[in-house]
Amino acid sequence: MRWTGRCPSLASMDVRALALLPVQVAADVATRATLAGLDAVLASRVATAAVDRIIASALAGHVVDQLLAGDALERVLASAETASVPQRVIDSHLIDEAVDRLLQSEDLWLLVDEIARSPAVTEAIGTQSISFADQIADVVRDRSRTADARLEHLARRVLRRRPAAADPQPG
Amino acid sequence: MAIAVHPAARRVHADRSPPPAAPLPGHAGFVTRTIAFSIDAALIDLAALTVAAIAALFFSIMPVSHDVETVAVAAGGVALVLWAIAYFVVFWTTTGQTPGSRAMRIRVIRADGSALRPRHALARLVGMVLGLPLFVGYLPILVNDTRRGLHDAMAGTVVVESPPDPVEGTR
Repeated sequence: MRWTGRCPSLASMDVRALALLPVQVAADVATRATLAGLDAVLASRVATAAVDRIIASALAGHVVDQLLAGDALERVLASAETASVPQRVIDSHLIDEAVDRLLQSEDLWLLVDEIARSPAVTEAIGTQSISFADQIADVVRDRSRTADARLEHLARRVLRRRPAAADPQPG
Repeated sequence: MAIAVHPAARRVHADRSPPPAAPLPGHAGFVTRTIAFSIDAALIDLAALTVAAIAALFFSIMPVSHDVETVAVAAGGVALVLWAIAYFVVFWTTTGQTPGSRAMRIRVIRADGSALRPRHALARLVGMVLGLPLFVGYLPILVNDTRRGLHDAMAGTVVVESPPDPVEGTR
């Protein structure tokens, strides 16, 4: 490289880059080696056993308890991002596709048929129908008793007869 | 002079005393009985119409002479009257309740509380027909303390409230 003397800053920058190059290479090599080592550790039986033990220990439960007891969960749930997740899921085609696939499934309709024919459902429908008819009949009976009393009261007034004896008059 | 009465004799005397009067059931009024009769009339007409439709279908498939058709119509009229008589007589003499009466929870009984016999039922039916002009036979129901019409007086009957059966009540 030929030194011209016209741009000293550019020359100093090139020198600095050249000086740092071995450091960067060394850092890159170190990073790769570390990640490779981490992969090896995570793939080992020791890591699996360690995770199993951590989950089986009281520590996992304690961590979950702390998350539920603290306000971290509330903060996550109250965040605007979390609130927009359901809307984004609904807006996506995921729901439509899932529903379409579900409706095309023959197993679903078999399940619906089984549920509709089940004794519990048919009995519930029958009971509901009977109770509905009973309610209508009760209303008709009550109103007819009231109409009986009113009609008789009117007839006795027209004919100037004494009021009816103490005949039980519902309503 | 005081007469000593043996305790056993006093007990026998006490047993012969009349039992306490049971509360009389309420008597059914004009509107309630009219609704019950309307239900019965609808059932009678429904059955008659069904038979008439079958007969009309039969005669449309197998054409007959005009005289036979006239006789068939007359026979159908007689059958309708007999069917209506049988309907009321059978229900009144067996359970005291026609389907309409059952729906309105009323019952026809003799004034002494016994069940109707066929002659009582027939007399009541005749009374119902005789009382039809201007509803003269039915107006006494409005002003009579026991709500009896002409047909009830002729047959010695009353129409009383009938509480639901225990099985029905538990539904």
